[in-house]
Amino acid sequence: MPSRQQPIDSIIQVVTPENIAFEYRLAGPFRRLPALLIDYTIMFLVQIVLSIGFSMIFGWVSPGLVGGLLAISWFIMSWFYAGLFETFCNGQTPGKMVCSLRVLTDHGQPINGLQAVLRNILSAADLLLGVVGLSVMTMNRRYQRLGDLVAGTIVVVEDRQWLTGVAKLDDPRSIQLAAYLPPNFVVSRPMARALATYVERRRFFSLPRRREVAKHLAEPLLERFGLPSDTSYDLLLCALYYRTFIADRSQDERLLAEAQAAANPFAGFGQAMPGQYPQPPYQPQPLPQQQLAGAGQFGQGPT
Amino acid sequence: MKVVELLERRRRNWQELERSCDQLQASPRVPKLPPPAMSRFAALYRAACADLALAHAYQLPQNTVLYLHRLVGRAHNQLYRSRRFEFQKWSQMLLHDVPKQVFNDRCVQLMFVLFWGLFILSAWLSYSKTAWPDFAEQMMGEQTINQLEEMYKNPIGDSGRGGDENAQMWGYYIQNNAGIGLRCFAWGLLVIPGLLTTMFNAVFLGSAFGYMARPEVYGTAPNYGPGGHFFHFVTAHGPFELTAICLSAGAGLRLGLAWMMPGPFTRLASLQKAGKAMMPVILAAVLMFVIAAVIEGFLSPSPLPYEVKAGVAVISSALLTFYFVVLGFPRRLAV
Repeated sequence: MPSRQQPIDSIIQVVTPENIAFEYRLAGPFRRLPALLIDYTIMFLVQIVLSIGFSMIFGWVSPGLVGGLLAISWFIMSWFYAGLFETFCNGQTPGKMVCSLRVLTDHGQPINGLQAVLRNILSAADLLLGVVGLSVMTMNRRYQRLGDLVAGTIVVVEDRQWLTGVAKLDDPRSIQLAAYLPPNFVVSRPMARALATYVERRRFFSLPRRREVAKHLAEPLLERFGLPSDTSYDLLLCALYYRTFIADRSQDERLLAEAQAAANPFAGFGQAMPGQYPQPPYQPQPLPQQQLAGAGQFGQGPT
Repeated sequence: MKVVELLERRRRNWQELERSCDQLQASPRVPKLPPPAMSRFAALYRAACADLALAHAYQLPQNTVLYLHRLVGRAHNQLYRSRRFEFQKWSQMLLHDVPKQVFNDRCVQLMFVLFWGLFILSAWLSYSKTAWPDFAEQMMGEQTINQLEEMYKNPIGDSGRGGDENAQMWGYYIQNNAGIGLRCFAWGLLVIPGLLTTMFNAVFLGSAFGYMARPEVYGTAPNYGPGGHFFHFVTAHGPFELTAICLSAGAGLRLGLAWMMPGPFTRLASLQKAGKAMMPVILAAVLMFVIAAVIEGFLSPSPLPYEVKAGVAVISSALLTFYFVVLGFPRRLAV
């Protein structure tokens, strides 16, 4: 497998207790500022509501008590509002909920109460002169402000994404073309990824652009498959995509195996190159992981 | 099996997981799902994790992998939730960890010396009329001095301050003083602003004390001047308040020095270590500010005789000494 280079992007990897690595997108300053402003607005509104409420309840008895309670509530809100919300609402303040942000520890785990309070008390240092936090954020790779650095937390974006599934192929000719591709050609994983990326995005490209993008992969392939060189590059990639992701090729594989066996009667399964031919149907001990996901059935495909 | 079939088969699970996430998200405080649905949620989450882990082997399209990353992330955050405050640990933290931390902390000691040194120095300078004749005027300004004299013109307790105003001032003291303490702590991380704030407070308070102690301002019995009333007012709550200021400024300085002089750690690790250690200290300081505000709001302005207030000051000093010295003294040496 080729080594995966880390893309220059605001993405971090988190390894869960299930031993799965998944990716989070970090939230930058322009994503976090609206959340902060929403929180300030809420604090302001709550303070207004409280002042009305307190003066209705205690105003008759003692106007001084109203002032005292308001000062205390303002103290609690200005220093502990975000810390308390992040503790009790699983790392989110109302503003962060609206902007779908969440505070996690460096390692992607949930934060605890002291971390939440600490990072929010230290926001006083971040907001000093209005630039301290912003400049600290630009100086580290995870957009952490001072409070985040001290408490060991990060802010991630937790947006939802729609499941798109496989791309629809609008041109039926690509399916026809798929039949002409040599059955023993195995699409490697990087190529499958490139194909998927291309076909899923091609509808955003104009025709000349599609041709330009597809050319680099399709030209050598056309030569290799012995197809006429005026075949549409775009069509060829769609056909390959169809064959890799959509078409049911179990029939092909059986035929191919039979043809191979006929051509070389001495070649048993043991000598078959792994990945090129279907694996023997008998698998001695499937791994627990495979059992869990029911992956035993998928080993038959061109892996 | 082809990718299409796989997607078709898994889609239902993923969508069910997504719906459960939505339900959990809708009630952020207490996750409300019946137990069977909860365990089903965990199973679905593990299945999605397995799908994500095998995405490469399945040759799932990039979009689906991205979708799975988001889905697993959301489910992960609903499954593993933020830990609340562990209140049963707080007494242990406040009575055991904090005094030990503070007793051995050079930063708190340094801040204590700095604060009190500046306080005493400026008190003396503003008391003495020969060393630096108009020190008090330069530090506080004529206007503030006039305000102070005006404020303490009448004897404490006779100023017509009832329980009503006391309650108001109590809230104000909490908001203002604890705010100053927390700001000293937070700005201590940047060292210079923290030091400046602390020094400013020390010099200002010191010159106020010094000015008020001048014989002509203090007055003599039985008709004390503003100075006499000033000391009458500040004695009772002084120990808690000034200790809390020193404590929070010291904790802030510890944070600042943690990244300047990290020792054997990386700067970040040292900073995080200091943050973890100083968090209980700052909470103790806030608690002291609240106690001080209660005394300042209700006892200090009361017409009780000065002896009672001085007694409260002595008792609170003794309590603080007990807290920091007796509870904080290293046990191994003591045995």
